[in-house]
Amino acid sequence: MRYFLRRLGFFLVTLWAAVTLNFLIPRLQPGDPAEAIVSRLAGQSQAVDPAQVEAVRKMLGTPDGNLLQQYGDYLSAVVAGDFGVSYTYFPYTVTHMIGQGLLWTVILVGVTQVVSFAVGTLLGAWAAYRRNSRVDSVITLGSTFVGTLPFFWLALLLIYVFAIGLKWFPEGGGYGGGSNPGWNWLFISDAFQHSVLPAMALLIVGPIGSIMGMRNNMVQTLGEDYARLARAKGLSRRRIALTYGARIAILPNVTGFAMALGGLLGGTLLVETIFNYPGLGRMMLEAVSSHDYPLMQALFLYITIGTLLANVLADMLYGVLDPRVRREEAV
Amino acid sequence: MRRHHLHLGAAMAVAVTLTAAGCTGTSGTAGSGRTADGLIDYLDYGDFGGGSAPQANYNPYNTATALGPTHYVFETLAVYNTTTCKAHPWLAAKWQWTDPKTLVLDMREGVKWNDGRPFSAKDVAFSYQLLKKHQALDSSGVWQHLSSVEATDADTVTMDFEKPGLSVLDRVLKVPIVPEHIWSKVKDPVAFTNAKDPVGTGPFGVKSFNPRELRIERNPDYWQADRVRVREIRFHKNDGGGTVDQLKLSRGEYDNNAIFVPDIKKSFVDRDPKHNRYWYPPGGSISVQMNLTKAPFDDQKFRRALTTAFDREKVINKGQLGYVRQASQTGLVVPGQDKWLPDGLKDKGRIGYDRSAAAAALTAAGYRKDSEGRRLGKDGKPLSFTFMVPSNMTSWLPSGEIVVDDLKALGFDVTLETPTPEVGNNDRDTGHFDMMFGAHGGTCNMFLNFSDPLSSKQTAPIGKPAPSNFVRWKDGETDRLLDDLQSAPDVAAQKKAIAGLTEVMTEKVPMIPLWYGAKWFQYQTDKAVGWPNNENPYAGPGDHMLIVTHLKPAGG
Repeated sequence: MRYFLRRLGFFLVTLWAAVTLNFLIPRLQPGDPAEAIVSRLAGQSQAVDPAQVEAVRKMLGTPDGNLLQQYGDYLSAVVAGDFGVSYTYFPYTVTHMIGQGLLWTVILVGVTQVVSFAVGTLLGAWAAYRRNSRVDSVITLGSTFVGTLPFFWLALLLIYVFAIGLKWFPEGGGYGGGSNPGWNWLFISDAFQHSVLPAMALLIVGPIGSIMGMRNNMVQTLGEDYARLARAKGLSRRRIALTYGARIAILPNVTGFAMALGGLLGGTLLVETIFNYPGLGRMMLEAVSSHDYPLMQALFLYITIGTLLANVLADMLYGVLDPRVRREEAV
Repeated sequence: MRRHHLHLGAAMAVAVTLTAAGCTGTSGTAGSGRTADGLIDYLDYGDFGGGSAPQANYNPYNTATALGPTHYVFETLAVYNTTTCKAHPWLAAKWQWTDPKTLVLDMREGVKWNDGRPFSAKDVAFSYQLLKKHQALDSSGVWQHLSSVEATDADTVTMDFEKPGLSVLDRVLKVPIVPEHIWSKVKDPVAFTNAKDPVGTGPFGVKSFNPRELRIERNPDYWQADRVRVREIRFHKNDGGGTVDQLKLSRGEYDNNAIFVPDIKKSFVDRDPKHNRYWYPPGGSISVQMNLTKAPFDDQKFRRALTTAFDREKVINKGQLGYVRQASQTGLVVPGQDKWLPDGLKDKGRIGYDRSAAAAALTAAGYRKDSEGRRLGKDGKPLSFTFMVPSNMTSWLPSGEIVVDDLKALGFDVTLETPTPEVGNNDRDTGHFDMMFGAHGGTCNMFLNFSDPLSSKQTAPIGKPAPSNFVRWKDGETDRLLDDLQSAPDVAAQKKAIAGLTEVMTEKVPMIPLWYGAKWFQYQTDKAVGWPNNENPYAGPGDHMLIVTHLKPAGG
């Protein structure tokens, strides 16, 4: 119990620090959002109209009070879940905008991450089980090779081959212009069609971490004394691999998986940008480049909370999966 | 299950291929895509704004976040051709000055809102009052100039100005007019998205919207419906920062777009030389701007010497891919604003490249070269400064390199700085720079063209953000001429003041214009003809009302 409470306390302190940093960092950034918005509208080579900048500044409003008061307002707003109005999508609220991107990211990244974890762990376990065999070399060398390829290059290659060359899938976007977003068959099939390439890109590189982690851990656990004892007892190789090797080797991978799920809220910036996927990652990039502080803050906060929560969950899960952790803490 | 998926994928792949083929098919055949009553069935246009996740917003006063096609729904009292600056009476059928501060406008008859209610002068007065009450909506600052706007009867609007109003007429007449019977019920017009069936007087209404595509359809009851020959316009979200859109353009998927395309001739025109065209009319001037609070830039002779130092031809052909034209030192955009040029000016104020003349003038002004070829300041120390191009201004960067090379050739120690846009804009606003590029002018409002970059009211001390006079030009004569221009009661007085301002530009050289920023405009003539171009500049690329009332079906 004490272990769990301690974890929880640690979570709260980290959360407070993250929330505070989240308040401070945008305020330390140079630049005027109103001017950024207007000059982007005007285009690269056109003069900016000061009257328009002034109107936009009035539209966005300026924060009231000194920094301490602003901090107080910010904290109470965060607790109430009110992140204000987005600058780039005025007058739509930040909550509305995040709602627009959340589902896309959760489905695309969530599904590919679960699949990547499962596939990666299985492949890693298989490679360790048949270590130094041909299977092992194919898996290990193969994933090392793919891992060295730059991700954006891989993604662009996919677009070039499957979207521009073969024209099997669209070049980007979450859905086509003609479809009507909602729960109708036409839209869902269209969205599926659009998700194939980004999912493929994520699935190619996704399992690598789990493969390498799982294989190395398991090779190590299979060399431990208890594994040797099990072998001496005459247990089958398969049983040793699964219950003695894999079960212990999977622990660090669980942490990695939990972290990845936590970061999921931020979307995968690169993949969403390359494929113009309407998720949170691309929204975050846009928010940063256009000084959309409210949107930026809310997104960062989501990511932070997501990662912290995932961490706590992983810690708790650890306690359940591995009795040693609980005991060591108690001593 | 797996098999099922594969089938699904294959089926959809086929469907997508078919649609794509269908698109190119219609777009490639001349004269097709017409409705029975002789209208163009639909046209494909480029981006409609609203960021990467656009949300429905048709509030014409939210200029920063409303979707672009809002401009087809709402109309203004007058429409200006931004290339020639000719005014077209629009919702106002005509207007006249009863005295220099009072304008009386007669509203057009037979105009209806697209919900069937009649349009009247009261709607106009209401719209202007709305901006007075909510300054956040007044994005062209009309209430800086107006003192009152009233509907004197159902067809007449009277506007009173603080000062003689001629110099700000175009700005004041460009306010979108909204229906009083709807907007008077809106609680907070600043945060009003007007997302559902926006009511306007314009030639089009919103048909459908999703974040990837926006369709608008012809308003059959429009007051000049006979001039609108397009049934529907489809705007497509531009994503991928341009490369995907460039590809789509070269495939012929757009009837009209306004994007930057490297090597437009090869990637677009040559694909279908019969139908694919482009026209890049000049926008504002792009100038070499110097921090006039620092030596040696505060020396008029120094600045004048530099006017011949830059190889503008190279800047235009190499730095700007030949898409732009050389700028006049007067600050005017020639030839569009030729009528304001003072008499007897050589080559409309365009200055040639003459490095040796620049070097001689510098030496004569007291900036000698030392034995190592370094150009010295008046204090005898080598001159060293930076040239700033923010890293996001990718289209300016190659020109920046040429300018820096030209300066180095004169013996200056110049470094090209490429800060992030945030830092760059902040340094520019607060005056922490030596030399940089700046865009100014190019609109139809001659007063603002000169006052934004040159008025002492538009500047600020070093360290404080300046609204638009970043070079910090403070000159009594300039301010006096700007006052004259602002309160000029007639064209002759405007002309005199502008001539004076152009002389400030050529004699005192507060900045050195190099080229005119281009406005991108690509179009295809297979479905629609009558686009504006160099031969017939009846509209600028952004003057949608003028363009859409001039388009005709191809082949008839």
